[in-house]
Amino acid sequence: MKICKTEEKATSNGAGTRAGGTLSRRHVLAAGGAALAMPYLSRTARAQGSEVNVGVVVPLSGANAQFGVNSRNGIQLVADQINEKGGIKSLGGAKINLIIADSTSTPTTAATVGQRLVTQNQVVAILGAYASSLTLALSEATERRQIPLLTMSFSDQITGRGFKYVFQVISKASTIGAAQLEGTVEIAKAAGQKLETVAIMYEDTAYGTSQAKGLRDTAAKHGIKVAMDEAYPLGITDVTPLINKLRATDAQVVFPCSYLNDGLQIIRSMRQQDITLPVIGGAGGYVIPDFKKGLGEFAEGVLSVAPGNYDLAPELTNAFKERYGYFMVHEALEHAVCLDVLAQALEAAGKADPAAVREALSTERFEGGWCNAMPGGAVDFDETGLNSLAKPMMVQWRGEDLVTVWPDDLAKAKPVWNGA
Amino acid sequence: MAFLQAVLDGLMIGGVYAVISIGLTLVFGVMGIINFAQAEFLMLGMFIAYFAWQFLGLDPLIGSVLSFAIIFGVGVLVQMTLIQRVLHAPPVAQIFVTVGLLIVIENLALIAFGSDFRSVSTPYQTSALRLGPLFLSVPYLAAFLMSLLSGCALWLFTNKTWYGRAMRATAQDPMAAHLMGIDADRMRQIAFGLGVGLTAFGGAVILPYFTVQPTVGQQFVVLMFTAVVLGGLGSVAGAVVGGLAVGVIQSVSTLFFPIQLQNLILFIVFITVLALRPTGLLGAAR
Repeated sequence: MKICKTEEKATSNGAGTRAGGTLSRRHVLAAGGAALAMPYLSRTARAQGSEVNVGVVVPLSGANAQFGVNSRNGIQLVADQINEKGGIKSLGGAKINLIIADSTSTPTTAATVGQRLVTQNQVVAILGAYASSLTLALSEATERRQIPLLTMSFSDQITGRGFKYVFQVISKASTIGAAQLEGTVEIAKAAGQKLETVAIMYEDTAYGTSQAKGLRDTAAKHGIKVAMDEAYPLGITDVTPLINKLRATDAQVVFPCSYLNDGLQIIRSMRQQDITLPVIGGAGGYVIPDFKKGLGEFAEGVLSVAPGNYDLAPELTNAFKERYGYFMVHEALEHAVCLDVLAQALEAAGKADPAAVREALSTERFEGGWCNAMPGGAVDFDETGLNSLAKPMMVQWRGEDLVTVWPDDLAKAKPVWNGA
Repeated sequence: MAFLQAVLDGLMIGGVYAVISIGLTLVFGVMGIINFAQAEFLMLGMFIAYFAWQFLGLDPLIGSVLSFAIIFGVGVLVQMTLIQRVLHAPPVAQIFVTVGLLIVIENLALIAFGSDFRSVSTPYQTSALRLGPLFLSVPYLAAFLMSLLSGCALWLFTNKTWYGRAMRATAQDPMAAHLMGIDADRMRQIAFGLGVGLTAFGGAVILPYFTVQPTVGQQFVVLMFTAVVLGGLGSVAGAVVGGLAVGVIQSVSTLFFPIQLQNLILFIVFITVLALRPTGLLGAAR
């Protein structure tokens, strides 16, 4: 509403009143815009005794809402677990107090609410913001304010800008893209198929763009031809042109990097045109229960790369399923890891001070607890803030479940290639 | 052949754009009000059809009739309680009301339905017809035919029934219509109900291939305004031409440019058309 006030002042101080009509219309739009952008802040009930405020910025509405809700659930679960076990002991049993803000799937809002958490709620660190484009915007605000940001977003840029206060618990997108291609090559080879031509399609925000780069570079390294390499806008209303292009190629597999709505449309349109190429999703929309719900039998056997999966640590992730009624999707899992790592860092720092927490995050190696659920088994941030122990893996839809199928040392089942 | 396929796909999706845009242009034509909340009624229509599918087992194509009927009623109520009050108010007040309505509906939907994406599954949604080398997606075709049907029904209503003629009379000259014994307020209620109802109907028929969530309107609102202004604000035929044009331009542009740029191409065409014909392709002489 602040915008509205300043605009008013500008009008009354303005040179003339002749333009009053147009100015006030702009005024209306500004007010409407401000109201639309007005974030929804919620606060968990205040626990007794001392508390540590931890900010959570996730998209709870808009195009990425589903993932934001999943992320929040994961964080909430771990916060409750920590608080039940007596909070942060080195801080006299201080409880974790989550302050959850909706970034509305808009980068500018992500930055604004992040800023507000810092100035109004004195958060010691922020977790979020799921989508890479949101995290990039949010990290600008946290870096300026020198508040640690723990994220499970993919984009290479997150830890590639020399920022001191950002920590990425999973591999970066180019590594994930590389694994998406290499895992597929190996799985196909084991089934007796040599991959020579592939197709890539990706949503054009930070996540899709950087992951596609990983795919592209790795394909070049292996001498694999990329027959189609197409970006599309995130809110795409019609994917038919993409599928028409795909049909015209001789690709043996397709690598779509999409969120949910675009992912569902892509698979449905492919099936309409009887295109039965193996689909190897790029995490995002391909590894959540709604994918299965929206596609039914067509989800069976779909492969995807993932930075983590619940079947690596069922003893931890079953608590999530019991509480929320669906399996612990990877974004919930990795956000849980983020909070656990933060709690361990607070424990080590011994004071709820952002600078001390940053110091602990960058020097300590984190093990045990939720870190066990990571493919690397522990979390250790390098000088850029990237978890150097993280590694991507491949999962496959089997009935209602996602099963880890690659690499062999993590696999819970053998991969099924192209229905065989 | 690729060109023919692109045109065909464009027409299919353009048919749906046309129906959702007719609603917007109808409201403007009869009342001179631009309804910024129009796309929210599309979202509501999608939700009604979704729940009809989930709880009553109705196919969204049949549920669309329910969407139309319910949203028609809602539209009449909105007209009576909100829009009627600002009919003669300055444009700023009118914008306030409809933008406010947009925010209220969207946030109520977020509270009521949560921000989940919901998607129906129907037997035909992954099938396509083959016409020689061309593919015709069944859900697209179904949505297109339903749109065509509703367009014809609207044409019959406005041209062949007393109510329809009375509505057009009100649009042309409310005072004269009133003198002829037409209840102009009632006509506006019907026009607003029809307008938002048609958009809701359009939302329901795309449900077999599109997921619904409370902010889905944002994905369509710009396309809707583009279709309407391209065709000529206030003209129903214009909205049809505009909607089809938007669909075809989006689809054909992907043959020559990256898909990312499909809306850029659309707006270049849009600006060019407006520069040459400021009233739109079939601009009504208002």
